[in-house]
Amino acid sequence: MTIEMFEKPLGMRDDFPLIAKQKANLRKQGTQLIEQAGYELLQTPTLEYYDTIGKISAISDDALFKLLDSQGKTLVLRPDMTSPIARVAASKLLREKMPIRLGYYSNVFRAQKREGGRPAEFEQMGVELIGDDSLYADAEVISLAWDLLQELKIGSARIVIGHTRLLELILSDFGLDREQSSKVRELFVAKNGVGVEQLSKELPIPSGKLASFLALMQATTVADWKQWINGQNEEQRKLYRDMERLEELFERNGLGDAITFDISFSSHMTYYTGLVFEFYGAGSGFPLGSGGRYDGLMEQFGLQVGATGFGLRVDRLLESVAAEQAEEPHVLILFDEQSEQAAFEKAQQLRASGKRATLQYAPAVQALEPFTALFTEVIRGEELHNG
Amino acid sequence: MDELTIAMPKGRIFEEAYELLVGAGYDLPKELDDSRKLIVEAPNEKFRFILAKPMDVPTYVEHGVADIGIAGKDVLLEHDRDVHELLDLGISACYIATAGLPDTEMDEVTPRIATKYPAVASHYYRSKGEQVEIIELSGSIELAPLIGLSDRIVDIVSTGRTLKDNGLVEYEKIADITSRLIANPVSYRLKQQRITELVDKLREQVGR
Repeated sequence: MTIEMFEKPLGMRDDFPLIAKQKANLRKQGTQLIEQAGYELLQTPTLEYYDTIGKISAISDDALFKLLDSQGKTLVLRPDMTSPIARVAASKLLREKMPIRLGYYSNVFRAQKREGGRPAEFEQMGVELIGDDSLYADAEVISLAWDLLQELKIGSARIVIGHTRLLELILSDFGLDREQSSKVRELFVAKNGVGVEQLSKELPIPSGKLASFLALMQATTVADWKQWINGQNEEQRKLYRDMERLEELFERNGLGDAITFDISFSSHMTYYTGLVFEFYGAGSGFPLGSGGRYDGLMEQFGLQVGATGFGLRVDRLLESVAAEQAEEPHVLILFDEQSEQAAFEKAQQLRASGKRATLQYAPAVQALEPFTALFTEVIRGEELHNG
Repeated sequence: MDELTIAMPKGRIFEEAYELLVGAGYDLPKELDDSRKLIVEAPNEKFRFILAKPMDVPTYVEHGVADIGIAGKDVLLEHDRDVHELLDLGISACYIATAGLPDTEMDEVTPRIATKYPAVASHYYRSKGEQVEIIELSGSIELAPLIGLSDRIVDIVSTGRTLKDNGLVEYEKIADITSRLIANPVSYRLKQQRITELVDKLREQVGR
């Protein structure tokens, strides 16, 4: 099949002026908030090695855009931002200055196999807080993400929180081995209730505990989690206490009603080791973003520190943000040979006063009417002469 | 109370799903299906029904234009959609199986399989360690072995009548199929209370 001149690779999109402008606004609002919260913005390269970022990123191999450099090494277009930032934090500047707060607004690339609705390149905005393994770090990034959603006026925003490690411990208390656990986790990620029910019949779960096992998918508060916590297990007790404190802290900050604590919530991103969370809002059929604690990822870069962060997808935020229709004033000044200088001066004057002004040589416009309709005000050269 | 948009498959499954919902105590208008309307409101329950092709239900739900939907497991297996599978409704039970002319072996070099479910068929034969050529058809699959297009077919079997009438026999069963209640992941979180309530009511109904 030949490629037609207007075609783009699967999943690639043009941002027309309106979208480009909305994105620019969103970027400004978002990065400002991130900086105010004490995070420093950074930019990492678009190309990375397949053997480092490509393998560590937890994005499936067939979603990576791969290419070869001049030495024959395989490169990837960065598929996420968390692993490049982990690389930077582990290898350069920052080892001494832990904990470190980094923020970003960058495009990432994920090859798509399926039809429309799924971009292969999209912007992500987020933060990473590296070198702090306390629950306050988790609370900080979740609250910051929440503030961002509020600032952008996302309707009925919601956060779902789970805990990878705690879930692992609970599943092993049900007598599941590693392989069985990971099967259950996979079904939990997809919230496949039917699958869990079917699988539970093959698992070595005592019949008395079956109802309790199936109830894992129903929990919505931290108090709901208590029934599965094994009081004999030190680690479970501690993690549960942390969750209680976290809930308390969110209640105090007014997020309480917006959070669902779902112990079965799990991420397909395999590098998360502790708290995991996801954000939702009205207007988009897909999650707005996600995040969690990924101490294991830092270890891969040779650093034994805790790290947590979130990323929000700008394309989905845009679907959720109420489009602001308010048209801002935009003046068109049409000039001809005679009025050229006056028109130029007028434009400078308008621009200096903060207005938006377009200068256009009138005879070069083919259809005057549709063109002038794009502006809120039109000044013609003749008027400038007289005035 | 949030409005729920429900994608319903037109045709056979619709009737049974409708009965289930009414049985679960939902007050639905009497004649939902017999008009040519594609969107039907049930104002008393704040439901909005989208009447769709069965194959398309998961697509509407994945994109979030429908909050929940009723879809056959066959469709869910064929199209790997990002939706939550909340409940087995136990209706429209059938299964996917391989079939072909009696007492025949598959071609050793290039076995050919005709099917409406290319992904399911390909996955099945791969898991058996066999490489096959898949020929995608959109209906009357039983024709394929009769006229020498394929060695086997992979298709839905409910009573086995169609196979028998055409002189075909079933070889292997691939998967049991029933209709499932599915939900969009975001809707599930934003309207969790309503959806969970619906699931509980339907579960009770299904259990009978």
